Amino acid sequence: MFTKRKSIIGLYTDENSVADAMDGLKSKGFGENEYEVLTGVPYPEGTFGEAEPHLHLHKFPLIGAVFGFCLGLVFTIGTQIAFPVVTGGKPILAIPAMAIIMYELTLLGAILFTVGGIIFESRLPKLFMGAYDPRITEGFIGVVVNTTEDNLDNAQDVFKSSGAEDIKFP
Amino acid sequence: MDRNVSDVVAIDRNVSDVAFKNVNNTLVEASNQTNLKWPLIIFAILSLLGFVGFSIKVFVEGVGSQQWGYHAALVAFLLSSIQSAPMVAIAPRVAKAHWRRSTSRIAEIFGLLGIVNLLLFIPLMWILPSLADGRRSLWFYDALEGVSPYSPHIWAILAIVVLAFLGVFYLWLSLLPDFAILRDHSKVGTVRKKIFKFLSGRWWGSSSNWYMHKHRLGIVGAHYFMLLVFVHFLYSMDFCMSLVPGWIDALFPITHAANALQAGVAVFIVTMYIIYRFGGYREYIGLDQFWALSRLLFALSLLWFWFWFSSFIILWYGGKPSERFVLELLMAGPYIYVFIPVFILNFAGPLLIMMWNAVRKSILGPTIVSIGVLIGTMLDRVRLYVGAYSVSTEPDKYALHSVPNTIWPQFSSDVLLWIGSISAVILLYLMVAKLIPLVNIAEQKELLLYKLHKEFHRTKVMVLGKPE
Amino acid sequence: MQEHVQLDQKEINKDLLDTIFHTPMWWYLAVTFFGVVFLIGASAFGYLLNQGLGVTGLNRPVFWGAYVVNFVFWIGISHAGIMISAILRLTQAEWRRPITRAAEVLTVFALTAALMAAPLVHTGRPWRAFLPTPWILPYDFARGIWPNIRSPFVWDPMAISTYLVASSLFIFIALLPDLAIIRDRSTGLRRVIYSFLCLGWRGTPRQWKLQIVAGILLSALVLPVFVSVHSIVSWDFAVQIGTEGWHSTIFAPYFIIGAIHSGVAAVATLMAVMVWVWKLHKYITPDHFDAIGRLLIVVGLTWFFFFFLEWVFALYTLEDPEIAMRKLQVFQWPWSGMFAVFLITSFIIPVTAWLFRAVRRSLLWMFITTILVNVGMWLERFLIIVPGLMRRTHLVFDWGSYQPSIIELLMVIATFAWLCLGMLVFSKIFPLVPLFDIKEAMINREKIKIGRKEIPASIRE
Repeated sequence: MFTKRKSIIGLYTDENSVADAMDGLKSKGFGENEYEVLTGVPYPEGTFGEAEPHLHLHKFPLIGAVFGFCLGLVFTIGTQIAFPVVTGGKPILAIPAMAIIMYELTLLGAILFTVGGIIFESRLPKLFMGAYDPRITEGFIGVVVNTTEDNLDNAQDVFKSSGAEDIKFP
Repeated sequence: MDRNVSDVVAIDRNVSDVAFKNVNNTLVEASNQTNLKWPLIIFAILSLLGFVGFSIKVFVEGVGSQQWGYHAALVAFLLSSIQSAPMVAIAPRVAKAHWRRSTSRIAEIFGLLGIVNLLLFIPLMWILPSLADGRRSLWFYDALEGVSPYSPHIWAILAIVVLAFLGVFYLWLSLLPDFAILRDHSKVGTVRKKIFKFLSGRWWGSSSNWYMHKHRLGIVGAHYFMLLVFVHFLYSMDFCMSLVPGWIDALFPITHAANALQAGVAVFIVTMYIIYRFGGYREYIGLDQFWALSRLLFALSLLWFWFWFSSFIILWYGGKPSERFVLELLMAGPYIYVFIPVFILNFAGPLLIMMWNAVRKSILGPTIVSIGVLIGTMLDRVRLYVGAYSVSTEPDKYALHSVPNTIWPQFSSDVLLWIGSISAVILLYLMVAKLIPLVNIAEQKELLLYKLHKEFHRTKVMVLGKPE
Repeated sequence: MQEHVQLDQKEINKDLLDTIFHTPMWWYLAVTFFGVVFLIGASAFGYLLNQGLGVTGLNRPVFWGAYVVNFVFWIGISHAGIMISAILRLTQAEWRRPITRAAEVLTVFALTAALMAAPLVHTGRPWRAFLPTPWILPYDFARGIWPNIRSPFVWDPMAISTYLVASSLFIFIALLPDLAIIRDRSTGLRRVIYSFLCLGWRGTPRQWKLQIVAGILLSALVLPVFVSVHSIVSWDFAVQIGTEGWHSTIFAPYFIIGAIHSGVAAVATLMAVMVWVWKLHKYITPDHFDAIGRLLIVVGLTWFFFFFLEWVFALYTLEDPEIAMRKLQVFQWPWSGMFAVFLITSFIIPVTAWLFRAVRRSLLWMFITTILVNVGMWLERFLIIVPGLMRRTHLVFDWGSYQPSIIELLMVIATFAWLCLGMLVFSKIFPLVPLFDIKEAMINREKIKIGRKEIPASIRE
């Protein structure tokens, strides 16, 4: 049966309290995908005891590069065969000249796919912000819990006991 | 939350005497204990083959310049590998990279081996044609103005002698504090103590000693680099390019030097692997060093392609007869079977292998690529120098009109000389390794001051100090 | 030596977003001034379109003049961003943090200035070059005339457009966290716009990790493009054999190192302007100038070595027309004067000055010396392009010279105004200093105490 999920956010000013809150949530049986920490600055990985995110970003540039390379090959061969005029005594399919264009298109493909990959893997664009607080970008650290309605009290208890400065329901 | 000024509390470094002594003892002992008897004997015998090969070359084959391509290639290969390897100590030291501390000595020792190359270079002085023969030159030769037709010979010998001695001087300079440690750890009255006392000069570890030491290393290192580039310029120019009429490639000296840096890093990585695997220094040499250097090797392999392509596209696109013959001689003609492996080993292979993070961040990956790069560089030097020496009798200084016959190596002279010279280099390295610690003890102790691991909330981080 | 000021996130937000939320009077004045200068240049362009290329100083045999010089110059400046941003990011140089964004933005506006200088203006009838896009589609649909991919003029737009797209996306990705900061401090329509632009950034560990990985990965991908761009621009000249001084294998690396020399100098100029105009002295300190000064010494010396080789091998050819052209450059007025100014301003004065620590740490001196570098580097391009064309071949019919007309000069000046205008407008909409990068430095900052001495340190994962 469909259970309605709700969010709650606890705001902290101290990193150790955030780590305590994360430990508390873990011990209360919250699943890893039920809570996350929001910061305004990149902390060293694992500062709050959070799980390490698994990324697949390396696949994107590779796919993009292959795509760009093929496009370069088709473009350079196709255009020269479509309009075969010998210039400068060079062969119609002059590999050094083709290589330059294929090089650019390979890199362009890799870069475009990488940027797409970064946005996709960052789970962006996010249309609805959910539980969030603007104070996060001025130094507060938010711990967001997204769980079933009846479990919210547990989360709130953890926030209170770990010394949250503020607790909000969006 | 924010860390205010007061939050950033300085971490006290209580560098215990125990840590310092540990470094001292392990490294001093390691340098004493290495058993190298058999390798020394084997390489000594192999080195003798070099003398045999050289004697056959001089007394049986004669001194015609076309026979000396392999000799010139050998000098170029050693210049490009062992004499470039000290840069792996010099550049990170200037950039203050901490990872170098445990490996800089391995690179500096190569500076001493330049002496072997200096000896090999001497016969080439007699082989290189004078400018009076009509060879195109940078040196503005003019018989009427009294300019010496041997000016390239003069500049080259000067530069190569100074480079070899600068390499030795740099090694000695970096060894000063370690010689003092070895002096202090030797028994009074022994010859060992006397030798180390002499070699350590007046080192007693005062602030001014250290201050001058760092500055001298910086200055001598910078000069070594500049001279190395200059020697590549002279050697690639006068002992290779000028022998081929119509070969005008302004980028060639830089390509020569950049390839040498690649081979220098490669020879260093291979040496570091051998020391890591068999030398008993695992506590000091590890993934950090291999990782830092594998990125550098990767970058230099990409640079190899860029320099090669920059020259190639101009000659190919220009397509003048002189340019076409040069390409035919060095790349597309008889040497295509040498050029293709060079292209694979120095560029395509490293690109396809080292683009993977898992390979770059490993110990075996960069080592295997480095072996390939060394073989590639060796073949590349053969391609260029043997190709150039095969046309050295051409009188026309404007263009090549045909591709000359390929010169094949003679086993009795060329191959033996190559084996003997490379063995002599290894022999000398082993002898030095027997005498001095392969890890810079003083730098390693300094690292204890600047590097530490600490808890950061729920994780562990490394803190690196950056002194001025 | 290293001065470290520990700042909290609120203070960093306040300092670095100030120009976005409050517009000072100088900003309006500066935008008006540069806008007017740009409009004058645009009017000159209109006049050129109306009258034709005859209003320029271009004539047989010199058909490449100030526009092409300007094009090469701006492509050179555009190498600043990636040099500073990508290389320093990959080498984890801490001092890069406050200047990466400004350098990247300089890249983008310099590239647009370059595009304005050459393909747009230089072609005389730009619509023929741009419509339809000739590098991808046939010139003439009816007759199926496809572009000749063996021509450097096809490689060139390919490389530049790749570089422009890559640098713009590089900036955009690195802007995401900062756009979220502006969103959180805005209301009304501004909030809606920044919410849209930051794509709903929240600052999860996943997003931060990607931001760090993206910086490294995109740097590694943009660097090969960066190298190819100026190499290809150099091949516009070097692949042909008909012009003295152009057909040299060293051109690609020589152009690249020249571009880095002028680009990094331009970043140093910009840093001084940022401190003076945007009052960023807390973020860009003498340490940063010292670091970029040291970098400039290395770049300057390397550039000089390439310059030396380029010259030496020109003489090594032993070809009379080549040597005659070199004599023209060095001994014949007004080229000799330009040559002297070029060498003195691009190398002798600045590199000698940077050897002194006091100069490297002085904003004013760094400003002056880096401006000098770019004066010299503009002249360098002029001296490569124009004298080469003047003495084309032995049997050339016209031995004409070249002098840029007022129309050309106005358009050259307009590209400088365009760059200033672009930087000013950008700074009004987006922060010129990456806030999250600065904040990360504050988080990672440590000190190690050895006896009485405190050594600056930082956390490395």
